[in-house]
Amino acid sequence: MTGLTQLSSVAGAITEVHLLRSPWLGDIEWSLSAELSFPSGLPGFQEERRILPVEIPAQRPLVYLQSLTSPDVCFISLPVLVVNPEFELCLSEDDIFALKLPEGKSPVLGEDVLCLAMLVPVEGTVHANLGAPVVINLHCGTGAQCILIPEPRPGRFVLKEHGWEATC
Amino acid sequence: MLVLRRRIGEAIAIGEDIEIEVMEISRTRVKLGIHAPRQLRVNRLEAAAIAAENRQASAMISHQGASGVAEMLALLRKVSGTPA
Repeated sequence: MTGLTQLSSVAGAITEVHLLRSPWLGDIEWSLSAELSFPSGLPGFQEERRILPVEIPAQRPLVYLQSLTSPDVCFISLPVLVVNPEFELCLSEDDIFALKLPEGKSPVLGEDVLCLAMLVPVEGTVHANLGAPVVINLHCGTGAQCILIPEPRPGRFVLKEHGWEATC
Repeated sequence: MLVLRRRIGEAIAIGEDIEIEVMEISRTRVKLGIHAPRQLRVNRLEAAAIAAENRQASAMISHQGASGVAEMLALLRKVSGTPA
């Protein structure tokens, strides 16, 4: 179901179009099928339960996670495999339940789930924490930020001139 | 620290509005059920650190502005070899 909303090519392809005025991304036209549901919100943003993933073709592979309830709340993320191609997702039973994924089957990245690392600005560069990825069930559009326990090693990366460097 | 021993199905009360019930115990984990007023935030402890990170993350776009994001993109492209 869930496709990333592309800022440049939305109108015309969908029947019911809604408009959001984002101070960061400008006017975004989106359809209900693109909306993600985060039943518990995100840590620190529990009220943000409706999120629109936005991809700007010229800025791939960045994915913006734009709140539909608070236009000024927007996160920048990257698919986890861009940061660490060897990343393996290991979800807890609670997260599998929250994401409405079938029990006893490991979700496949890109097929069952989209797994995004939130980008955090730190001292002039950018950090990505793979220990708490935003995971989205691609079959139903339900999402959650999953705190992975044990934390993957390496779990934290910093963007340097030569690439992503593990910090721990 | 107060230490209490409870069995499956037993609970503890915190104040008048909060009940924590032991639902399941496995070798390494305990499953708890929490009844609390809706306005009370109940989170795993680790979520507090992630909440602070998320607040920083949400500031990124306003912090960096369009030029900051463009710089980051240029660096990402250089790193991943993706053409502009």
